[in-house]
Amino acid sequence: MASRSAVPSPGRGSLARRERIFAYALLAPAVAAVFALIAYPMYLIFSMSFREGKSLNFLALHTRPFGLGNYEAVLTDSATWHSVWVSFAYTFGTILPAFLLGLGTAVVLNRSFPLRRWLRSLVLLPWAVPGVMVSIVFLWLFDASFGVTNYFLRSLGLISTDISWYTNESTALIAVIVPTLWKGYPFFTLTLLAAMQSIPGNLYEAAEVDGASAWQRFTNITWPGIRGQATLALVLNGLWVFREFDIIYAATGGGPSKTTETLGIRAYNEAFGYFYMGRAAVIGVLMLAIALVAVLLARKQLRKEFF
Amino acid sequence: MNIKRFIAWALGVVAAVAVIGAHAQPKAIELEFPSWQIEEAGAGEYWTELIKAFEAAHPGVKIKKSQVPFREYVDKLTVRFAGNNPPDIVHLPTRNYLAFASQGWLAPLDEYLAQTDVKATYTKLSDEMVYNGKSYGVLMMGYGMMFYYNDKMLADAKMPVPKTSDELLKAIAAVTDVNAGRFGYGAPTNEHPNVFVEIGTWVTGEGASLFKGNQYNFTDPAVIRAIDKFRTAVKSAPKGQSSEQARQLFMDGKIAMIRDGPWVAAAVKKAPDATRPNLKMGMMPFASIPGGTSNSLHMPAKLDPEKKKLVWDFIRMTTTPEWQQKFTLLTSSPAPRKNALSAAEMQARPDLALVNKAAAEANNLFPESVAVRENYNEFAKIFVESGMKLMNSDRPTADIMKDLQAEMQKRIPLK
Repeated sequence: MASRSAVPSPGRGSLARRERIFAYALLAPAVAAVFALIAYPMYLIFSMSFREGKSLNFLALHTRPFGLGNYEAVLTDSATWHSVWVSFAYTFGTILPAFLLGLGTAVVLNRSFPLRRWLRSLVLLPWAVPGVMVSIVFLWLFDASFGVTNYFLRSLGLISTDISWYTNESTALIAVIVPTLWKGYPFFTLTLLAAMQSIPGNLYEAAEVDGASAWQRFTNITWPGIRGQATLALVLNGLWVFREFDIIYAATGGGPSKTTETLGIRAYNEAFGYFYMGRAAVIGVLMLAIALVAVLLARKQLRKEFF
Repeated sequence: MNIKRFIAWALGVVAAVAVIGAHAQPKAIELEFPSWQIEEAGAGEYWTELIKAFEAAHPGVKIKKSQVPFREYVDKLTVRFAGNNPPDIVHLPTRNYLAFASQGWLAPLDEYLAQTDVKATYTKLSDEMVYNGKSYGVLMMGYGMMFYYNDKMLADAKMPVPKTSDELLKAIAAVTDVNAGRFGYGAPTNEHPNVFVEIGTWVTGEGASLFKGNQYNFTDPAVIRAIDKFRTAVKSAPKGQSSEQARQLFMDGKIAMIRDGPWVAAAVKKAPDATRPNLKMGMMPFASIPGGTSNSLHMPAKLDPEKKKLVWDFIRMTTTPEWQQKFTLLTSSPAPRKNALSAAEMQARPDLALVNKAAAEANNLFPESVAVRENYNEFAKIFVESGMKLMNSDRPTADIMKDLQAEMQKRIPLK
């Protein structure tokens, strides 16, 4: 009698093939969406980065000369590396204080006190405000002649003449970091608070019984419990801030004298100010490369925490 | 038939009639018209009246006007043209139109203009609409810069109305008291395209020029001296303000003196009651009156034939004697048609006589080089960056202008 396993039945093979086809069919919409929304636009950016010359006529871009001229022009321009530095300063200058502020507010909101629920909602409000509105509010707060910030600083005797926050090269970057920080810290609060609430309370009780100080409880219980979420929040928020546009553009447009010209603002100016679409695309590729390096550096820590 | 079935049947009939009826109605044609002037005093009223008259003469056609702030206006229009979504009626600052025309975005209007008297009746400034031998637009206004002052603030500081640039600087210093929120001078002091206009006004006003032949002339000693005067003046201006904000502070009685176009006279009429009687307009206290072309109307190159005819009808309407007269009366600005107002009308409006005098004497402060005009947006952005350094640093003017000239020659070389 022939063994059952020796010869595969035709019915079983065609069933496996049908199942495979069905699986691919179910994946197809997701693949199509990824292609349409991610892969094709990326292909366009790369393709545009090799089209030299000045033109904003997208339909005629393929007629522009093909070459590495845009890469040479952008990567050898000191203004590009200045924008890279500004982007890093803006990103780290925002996310580190925002993280610390978010962590602090999360620790406070994790305790029980009256009106805690109302305060939680209030703390999250800045996150919901559109970036342009945030810029408008802070343009008024930091107005050189009539803003309340200068008024309070003069009243406290900290300054004798008004500071032109947005038009002074030494203060403009701070003046755009502050509103971004204000808008961004609630994300850290939300993420870290959710992580803290998943830490069992009896761990804290046991630590208190053992005589652990508040700092010891934080470093040995709280931080290990939220480290994974904190890392993810830092990476996500860092990428969002790195590509931030509306707050800076509405406030300073990248000025004064390029002191707040991040890579995103520079790409916009190259494309729509100077009509160099190819150079703008190269800046886009550069931003992508930087973001990729950041994600790869964080990958090890994220894998350790989540996978 | 039961009641439910009847109601369902009746609803179906009503829905069908509504759908058929909607399709049977001829759809209104909508022409999109964005502008930075829609909410401006004077110009806003002009556009509203013109649009009303146009719609009355063209039943079934609606013009959808929308306000876009001037600071972002050219960038926003650039994005729209680049995305193949231009507005139907294109309103541009004239200094920027060449950049759009050089991209092939604007339609030549020679065929249409041949059917009008524009070439015979408009002033010479209208020649700026010609690029590579073709006319790409219709000029709306050419002007001379005007001087606006608050005579009460000057009187309180015991200063006469200045007649020269040195008297102007003296008056600015006398009026300014920052702690009291009182400023002698108002100017755009943030990254605004009008920073170039402000600096260009001082340079041209002092009889110098930023261009010599077809070359940049930024390091000429006369240019440097003029810019030094500008730097002195702007130290007494509120910081971080756009042109519009500086104008508003003037209306509110916080700024004693500003230079601006003749259109601000219409806004002065709407100033608060407390300040309006003190706000006056005069000739610029400079040896030479700076000025130039202001804005123009154009047609996008890609427009369907039906809309093309309507857009031309709209543009042509602005060129008629009737609407040229209304333009001057409503905006207090000189119309490009010669003798748009009669002698009697001019006599009745001495402010318009002054405005026309300034326009007639004006020396162009805007670049005339085709290479610069084709790249005006880039030129202005680079110039404004150096303008911010002039306003906010202590570096010598000669050094900043030397760097600017080198940068400009690199980005927009002039042969």
